[in-house]
Formats: sequence, C-alpha cells, structure tokens
Amino acid sequence: MASEFRYSDKNPDHPVAYAGFYAMHTRIETVVTDIDEERARELADGIEAEVKSLERLFNRFDDTSPLAVVNARGAREAVAVDDELFMALELCEAFRRGTGGYFDIATSTSAAAAGRASCMLDPAAHTVRLAGDDVRLDLGGFAKGYALERARRLAVDAGVENGVLNFGNSSVAALGRHPYGEWWAIGVEHTKIQSVAAHEFRLRDSALSVSGRSLRGEYHIVNPMTGAAVAGDELIAVEGRSALVAEVLSTALYAAPRAKREAVMAQYEGYAALELWCRDGGGCEIYRIGRR
Amino acid sequence: MNRKEFLADCGKMSLAGMALSLFPWLQSCSDEAKREVRGEKARIGVIGTGSRGIFHIKHLLQMPSVEVVALCDDYRPHLEDAAQYYPEAKLYDDYRRLLEDRDVQGVIIATPLYLHAPMTLDAMEAGKHVFCEKAMAYTQEDCLRVYERRKELGGVLLIGQQRLFDPKYIKAMSMIHEGRIGDVVGVRNYWYRNNNWRRDVPSPELERRINWRLYGEYSRGLMTELACHQLQNGSWSLGMLPEQVMGSGHLIHWTKEDERDVYDTVSAIFTYPNGVNMTFESIISNKHFGMGEQILGSKGTIDLVSGLYYSDEPMPAGSGMHQLVAQIENGIMSNSVFAGTSWAAETSPLAPGLPITPNVTVNSGESTVGAEADGSKEIIEAFAHAVITGKQPAKVLEESYYASQFALLADRAMHENAILTLDERYKIPYEPIRS
Repeated sequence: MASEFRYSDKNPDHPVAYAGFYAMHTRIETVVTDIDEERARELADGIEAEVKSLERLFNRFDDTSPLAVVNARGAREAVAVDDELFMALELCEAFRRGTGGYFDIATSTSAAAAGRASCMLDPAAHTVRLAGDDVRLDLGGFAKGYALERARRLAVDAGVENGVLNFGNSSVAALGRHPYGEWWAIGVEHTKIQSVAAHEFRLRDSALSVSGRSLRGEYHIVNPMTGAAVAGDELIAVEGRSALVAEVLSTALYAAPRAKREAVMAQYEGYAALELWCRDGGGCEIYRIGRR
Repeated sequence: MNRKEFLADCGKMSLAGMALSLFPWLQSCSDEAKREVRGEKARIGVIGTGSRGIFHIKHLLQMPSVEVVALCDDYRPHLEDAAQYYPEAKLYDDYRRLLEDRDVQGVIIATPLYLHAPMTLDAMEAGKHVFCEKAMAYTQEDCLRVYERRKELGGVLLIGQQRLFDPKYIKAMSMIHEGRIGDVVGVRNYWYRNNNWRRDVPSPELERRINWRLYGEYSRGLMTELACHQLQNGSWSLGMLPEQVMGSGHLIHWTKEDERDVYDTVSAIFTYPNGVNMTFESIISNKHFGMGEQILGSKGTIDLVSGLYYSDEPMPAGSGMHQLVAQIENGIMSNSVFAGTSWAAETSPLAPGLPITPNVTVNSGESTVGAEADGSKEIIEAFAHAVITGKQPAKVLEESYYASQFALLADRAMHENAILTLDERYKIPYEPIRS
C-alpha cells in the first residue's frame, strides 16, 4: 500500500527500512532501523493510512472534508464534528492563547485582530461555530506536526527505537539515534546554496520544524493580527520533544514580529528556536530566540 | 573537527578502537594521554621561519601546551616576521647556536629540503626531539642515515606527513580496511596548479636561497614537495609497499622565468606486488583538476580530498532520506541536509557521494604554504605531546620514511628513464597498516 517501500539488510548489523508516499501536498518519508521486514511494512502501511485519514479530515480544499464543512456552514450554525477534529481544534485554541495569538488557524478576521477566538467550541455538544462569515479555518501550520506526532507514536508502538520521520522536509521527528552516532544529524538546507547546511541539528528523541519562505519564493504564512503574508527572509527552526508543538511554534514565530518572538518562546519550556539568515555566497547568521 | 571530536564521532567504540589499532600513532589523542601531560609545556624552537615555518607558528600560537622559546632563520626578514608572533623568543641566525640552547626541548625544522638531513642529525645529536618537514632528506642515503641514527639515539622524530593525522584520512582508511570499498584495485593521486612556483626575490643574489625549490642542487621538485604527501595513500590503503616505479618528467612550460632545472610536469606509476598501480601526476601549468586522491575499490571509491564515498552498486538517487538509508547500509555516520521550508522533487539522476564524516574540510591544494584543517595542526600537537612524554609515536616514522624513499626513487626513475626498484640496503623493518 505504501507508495515506495524498501527494506535493506545489506548491513546485517542494522537492517533499514525506507517508506515514502505523497500526502498533505507533500512527500512523507520514513527511515527506521533494526526491525524485521514484516513489522517495517506494517508500520509503513499504518503510517500512510493514518496520515491520509488525517488529511481527509483536515483538508480545507476538499469540499467533503469535515473541516471544509465547518468552513462552509460554521458561520450560520454550530457544526457537529467528530472527536478527532474537535480535539485538534481545542489544541489549536490552546496554542492560539499560548502564542499570544500568533498561531491562529483562522485566516485573518476582525475577531483575530481584536485578540478573540475566531471559532467557538462547545465541548458538551462537540460543535464548532465560526465568529463570522469572513472566518475560514486552515490547519496548514498544524496538520503536518499533528500527523507526524501520530506517526511517531505508531513507530514507537511498533518497537522502533531508532528512526527518522520526515514530513515534507519542514517537519522531522527523530526517534533514538543514528546507528553509528549519538544522535541524528539533520541539516537545515541553506536557502541560497543547495545541499549545504545552514545549521545542523543533533536530534535524539526530538523533533524539528522549519518555517519560512518556500523554495519558490512564496510567502504562505500569514500574520493573524494583520492578515498580511509574512515576508521575512529568515528561516525559523524549532526543536523539541513534540513534533506538533515544534510546528506550531515555528509557524507562530515566523508570523510574529521579531520583537514578539521571545515572549512566545517564554511560554514553551523545553523548546529551542533559531532564526537563520542565509547569506548570498554562503554563510548564515544564527540567532537564538529566547532561552531553552 | 579535531581528533577528539572525530573519535567521539566514530560512534561505536569498536570503530574508535579499530582506528587506534590501525593507526597507533593516534594514541596521544586519548583522554588518558592528555591527562598524562596536563599542565606541562613543550619548549620548542623553530628552525626556518619562512612561509611554512610561519604556517606552523600560527598553529603553535593556539596550543597552550607549547611554549616557543627560540626562533632561527639565516634570512633576517623571515626571522623578524616570526619574532612578531613570539616577541619573547630568543632569536638565532645560526641553527647550531639554537641547538646549544638548553631551554629548547624540541625543534621544528622547516628549511629547504637539502638541509633537512644535516639539521635533523645535528638536532638529534644535541639531544633535541625533532619535527622535520617532509621529505625526510634530499637523498635516499640520507633518509637511511637519519632513520638509523634516530634508532641509535632514541628521542622523537616526526616527519611532516600531516595526512597521517588528518581525521578525514583516518576515517577513510578505517573504512577501507573494513572492506567498505572491497579490494583496492587502484590509487590515483594528482596535483595540478598553474603558477610558476616562484617567491619574490628582493635582490638577485637571493634567487637560489629563496627559490630553492626550482633548482636540482637543493630540491627534488614536485616529487618531494608534493608527491611525498600523497604516496602514503597507497601503502595505507593496500597495506604494502611498491615493488617498482617508473616515470616521466620534463620542464615544458616555465622555461623563461629563471634558470630552474626541476621538472614542471611529472607522471609516475608505482606498482605493488599484487599488480595494483598507484599513479601520481603533477603539472604546474594547468590547474583545472586541482588536487585529487582517490582509492578505487572493487565495490566503491573513496575520494580522500572531498571526503566522499561512492558505491559502484546502483544507489537510489534522490532525497536526503534516501541518502540516510545509504549511510546506514554502509556503516557511515554523517549529516543529512534536507530540512527546510518545503519539499521539492529531486532532479539529479546521479546519486551524489556520501560524506564520510560530517563537516568535511576540502583542501584545494592551491596553496603553496598549507591549508586549514589538513592535519598540520594535529601533527604538531602530536609532536608537542611527544616532546613532553619523550615517547616516539608508533609506526608513523616508517610510513614517512618510505614515502620519502619512493618519492626520491620516482624522481630518479624519471631522470634515468628507467624502471627502478628500491635497493635492499634502503629497506627498514616495516609493519604495514593492515586490519
């Protein structure tokens, strides 16, 4: 079922399995070591099924997805949603408050600009209501991290101790360490020079999320307060225990003005964030946001 | 990356252990060895403070375990340059006076080739430990004299073959001895530059003194100045010494600059007892291909200069995650550069080489003085450690001896237009590097 699956025991000390498929408008890849082929295949299939299930739930571009239904009707009526989507929306609201509003799944609205929630959640009824006709919910800065965290747990449950899960290069979860090292050495690619690392992260049971301008130069992160696309040249990279929190934070930090970033990080212990400014001709200026 | 980080980076204890058993001269980088000399200083004198001497001095400045107490050069401007780095050091224009200085425990000799043997012998007689720049000596006979005299006197002698201490080379050779590229079936070395190799001469009577490299009276040219560094790649990877050497050399381009008589183009083939050839080529009137050192194996290739490993078996092209798989399959720890803001399809059909260590430093070979992170600092550190302990690092002198012997033999082969073997009298007890 997985689009690409390869199992290699060329190195008898550390057999390794690779799986790759397309979902959430990107390429999802996993590398796990030291499990047998059958379990590796089951895990690959399981991760693909889970991610695609979440995609169907969260995809605002698919008219039939529960999220699209909320967007279509939520301004006029309270829309009932399933446990998974409701929990996701609750998490998003918690992150909105935690990041001072800089993480907000609602596209710019008068409510967001005023610091209020753009959607109201009724835990008893499991319904969602949107604050106005101009509200649209977009889980773009959340879904990959959420799915990645889900995939990580599947891998752990399957007995994987060492592996890397890569969701579209911008969200990476590392389990354990490289079989020949004390960590997984993952480089963030320099924005001006291909295949050169602007900075290398040493991940061990931790995740990394990177936000910034896309390779094609598009700005797709919006400042929730103003509704304007954020047009910074820097990359934001966040490392920490949870892939979900890392992604939320990298999105929020990129959307926030530089002066506000430290305050955002202050709310999240155990996460480290860097601003990476890649220079033409090589080199990168790196600034730590707040303290870990 | 320094040696300690490198050995830590090896990950598994077994690999670090293997590196130490294959390359026992690295023992001084262990924690235990460092503890042994903590707080002590090696008191060093530098003989020859021209470009290479200054290059070493800049490294020495970074070493808290070294105190440079004396400097010597018979060319005043060079001596004055060096004195700026160590204003407290005693200055000499005659190396014999420096050798009489009891404060000096060890000397670094960075003088023209023809002075290496006489100065090394004198320094050893004076009870000093010696680091002498490569090649060991101007003649094969002198290489042997120096080697045997050191055995008689004891003391430390290191020759400036810094690749022996370069973490990138050590990792590569460990991989080769683990069989990662299969059987070694060829070794390619080359060094191309495009410059006349001249240094500025303030007045004509200083020509031969400053541009000694260009004159056969003082120099063996490209074979001792360049090849000597690369020839050990063969003995390291194959675990044996060449059986014969042939070559061709000429002066073809830089014929109008001066009265030089060393070759500006050389090509040599060293053949090993199992029939494998190692080549060395150097042309100093074209620099397109720069410096190269490649070990060719039946299953793969390691490019020593770029620090990349290539498999001869087809590898999936593409993503950083594919490369991660290839790393694990081949027992390599390296970084994977793929994190970023988004994913884009890979377009290159060819799988790129795998870095054999993270943060590989690539030396272009263009500098006629030396390069950063090429093992030069590490070898001087090892010398300083040896000066303090008085212990000669194992095996490394023999490797250097044979690199010098074969460089000189190849130069002779070119001049005599003959296929030559190493005379029995120049053979010394030698334990090849073998797993």
